[in-house]
Amino acid sequence: MSLEPMDRMDEFEQQLRTALVRQAAPEGLKQRILEARARRRASVGSPQSVWMRMAAGLLLAAVVGGGVLWKRHQEEQRGEAAREQVITALRVTNRALDNVEIKLAAHDTRDGEQEQRRTR
Amino acid sequence: MSEQERPDFEALVDEHQSMVFSLALRMTADRGLAEEIAQDVFLELDRCLGQLESAEHVLYWLRRVTMSRSTDALRRRKTRRFDQWVEMEDAHGALEAEPASPLGVRMEALLATLPEAQREALILRYQEDLSPEEIAQTLAAPVATVKSHLQRGLKMLRAKAASSLGEFIRKKGPVPISNGAGWEGAGGES
Repeated sequence: MSLEPMDRMDEFEQQLRTALVRQAAPEGLKQRILEARARRRASVGSPQSVWMRMAAGLLLAAVVGGGVLWKRHQEEQRGEAAREQVITALRVTNRALDNVEIKLAAHDTRDGEQEQRRTR
Repeated sequence: MSEQERPDFEALVDEHQSMVFSLALRMTADRGLAEEIAQDVFLELDRCLGQLESAEHVLYWLRRVTMSRSTDALRRRKTRRFDQWVEMEDAHGALEAEPASPLGVRMEALLATLPEAQREALILRYQEDLSPEEIAQTLAAPVATVKSHLQRGLKMLRAKAASSLGEFIRKKGPVPISNGAGWEGAGGES
């Protein structure tokens, strides 16, 4: 194969070049391109569509933001309730332990008195 | 390009539609797909026109984007492995639209059977008359790779032409676009 300038190509390459001459574009291609361009510009560029997109964007942002805030609030409430429950449980436990301690102290006092009586 | 220097989009379509369509058609061997690609390429040009600096830049950009879009389209379509001649002539009538010589039609069909990289190098070389360096720049590939694709592609095409078109020539008689040496003679030296 010769990668020579075009004027020094061999016969096969010249025939290939002849076979690969540019073809005319299909009829109406230019028109279709211009129409597609006009459609695209109309849909992308009109002020109406820009406002609609902005409104849709804002609405979406509001919905998403609201959802996030609501979820955070719910989680905070759940956390607060759980904290209250834990504190209540600790109070109950504390009270029960106090009762047990009082009973044990009373029991120890009784035992001490009986021992003293026996030794006398 | 400044606003004043920027060419009219319609004029650019007029000037380059044949090139863009032919590149896409020869890459894809599908007239409908080639039209779609050409349309996409020009719409993309409309978006990017402000960034292009000169008429040469526009031409280079069009070639590069057309080849790249065609390659993408081929990959999406996962090129079918049946007879490309039947596909081109029956399914899409790609070659009926142009009164090309029968040999030219078969040459294009043979080209469509080459591997994609070789095909794009050959199309840019023989349709667009680009040098290997220019092809390398267009395809963003090393010059050595492009030269290799050109050599291998041409060699394969010669071999295919020698076997397929030799048969055709024997059936149809003299070759209309050759100077009489015929394909076998031309295909002999590679």
